[in-house]
Amino acid sequence: MAHLTLAVSEATFKRSFDLLKRNFTFQDSDLQDYGAFTLGYDVKMHLEGGSVDLRADNTVQIKELDIRWDRLKVIIGLDVPEICVGGGCINMPWPVPDICLPKICVFSGDPDVSISPDFASLVAQEISFTGSLAARYFDVTIPLPSPDPCQLLRVVPLPGNNQWQIFVDPQTMDLDLFDFPDIVGNLIEDALTSAVTALIPGGWVRDLILAIIGGIADLIRAILDIPDDIEEWLSDLFNVSFGLLDFIGTLVLDFFASCNPIYSIDDPFEILPAASGLIPVRIPIRNLSVRAHDLEMVIQTDVGA
Amino acid sequence: MAFTDRSDLYAAVHEEGINRVVRHIMQQRPSLFNYATPFFLQNPGLLCVRIKAAPEVTAAGNPLFTVQTPLPVLAAAQPVGLNYCLQFTDLAIDFHDSDTIKLPPELGTLPAQRLALYMKGCFGLGCLPEGYYADLIPLAEAVAVSRGDKPSFGLADIPARQERDPIVPPVRELTCFCLELYAVLHFEWGFIGQDEYLKVRLDGLEIVDLKPVEMENILECYAEAVLRLGILPRLSIRIEKMVLDITRLLRQQGLQAGQQISLAPAPVPAAVPHNPAVEDDQLKAFVNLVIQP
Repeated sequence: MAHLTLAVSEATFKRSFDLLKRNFTFQDSDLQDYGAFTLGYDVKMHLEGGSVDLRADNTVQIKELDIRWDRLKVIIGLDVPEICVGGGCINMPWPVPDICLPKICVFSGDPDVSISPDFASLVAQEISFTGSLAARYFDVTIPLPSPDPCQLLRVVPLPGNNQWQIFVDPQTMDLDLFDFPDIVGNLIEDALTSAVTALIPGGWVRDLILAIIGGIADLIRAILDIPDDIEEWLSDLFNVSFGLLDFIGTLVLDFFASCNPIYSIDDPFEILPAASGLIPVRIPIRNLSVRAHDLEMVIQTDVGA
Repeated sequence: MAFTDRSDLYAAVHEEGINRVVRHIMQQRPSLFNYATPFFLQNPGLLCVRIKAAPEVTAAGNPLFTVQTPLPVLAAAQPVGLNYCLQFTDLAIDFHDSDTIKLPPELGTLPAQRLALYMKGCFGLGCLPEGYYADLIPLAEAVAVSRGDKPSFGLADIPARQERDPIVPPVRELTCFCLELYAVLHFEWGFIGQDEYLKVRLDGLEIVDLKPVEMENILECYAEAVLRLGILPRLSIRIEKMVLDITRLLRQQGLQAGQQISLAPAPVPAAVPHNPAVEDDQLKAFVNLVIQP
């Protein structure tokens, strides 16, 4: 019997997933000057929809998670070389004053021309992912392979001590860069909503019609999503990502995930910190395992002798 | 049957895991369990029980025991101290229902949902050999006579404080005795301030084979006070720390949850018959995730 057992129910995973979706936002912006032109972005996104499922084959599936862009601005600026006309003076004999032409310059700014189209309403992504959790031991005394395949992919720095590390091992991934069902559905819903709002400013009749429009838009989304659903179902069945993008994505993700643990526990693990010159108290961690089945996820470990 | 059939989260710790952790602490922080006078810094072999320390402790030059002042000899005109040591050598727990710890008859068999605690402590005193008395008595007599114009024999005449460093005669061996303490305890949930904690409560305690009975009772009385007021309150564990501090984890990931997230014990007996449960040689906690808008 394991010395320590922790279990998390599937229902808790689903509630935590919803909590994460409601609270997760990502935003970033940057602007780089490359001399003749400037490039930048200003993005903000959140998550919608999707579901999480713990499965009997020791995998976790995240299905049809929508990435929604609140702002997806691409900033392109051009710095045209400055052109100036005029500015010279004609010297006139005294007492006639010099005649100076006004200097007029164009393209003095940097950038001179800038556009920042917002693609937020036109772009939507959807991701489905299946992966298993695996615990592995990192022994600091074992030298890394040469060449190290993780060298360029390692985001989490190498630890300086032994660790138990938990990895997500991707099985399949389905990434729709342009989630057409949602894009079309959103556009139709927005257009119809605007039209109805213009015709009927308020009241329960308008609310009823808007509810019906929402249902129609969802139906359109569902119908347009059928081919993708079939592809995801086949991927899940054969445990292989279909589509070149998904296949490459899974390979990259596989490599990336195998180089970066999602959670690490030091071995030995410190339970009492160093104090007043006394060494810290550390306990050895043995046989750490993590597994999932359709009801819960279980982490177990032993304390070394 | 899944671990989380009756709660959102489940945590269990086996008695062997706890006992191993205790052994690691005893070996890596021996000074928490051993107390002795400075004489034993050079003579650790004379302690009642040899201290088993981890190699890292000696390599780091950490003390094997916490240094104590010698035991003063009451009424001695010339300050004299005796070397002594107090060592806690064994500490183990046993969750119901195995019987790795045999309780004394006074405590009966371990009831369901209880845990047994076993602790062994040894005390050693460095008695003065007869030869030292021959040297010390003339000195003590001279000091006593020179102290005042009238002789005194009462304890009321003990100096209020020791003016000089006491004479601490070295010892060749300690006279040691060991006592074994058994206790029966249980766990319960309770609040400390605003937060919910898992607390340890004492049900009964027994020091075995000590005579006269009154002395045993006094020592048990004192041990109970130390456990109830000193040690057990320090073992309270906040419920979030037992499983995972979700709020802290979210904060580490840069997420500020709009809702209040907390953990609460699964209700008894609606969800589980016992919570926390002490059974199958384990301490089990059934916890629910509470998300409030």
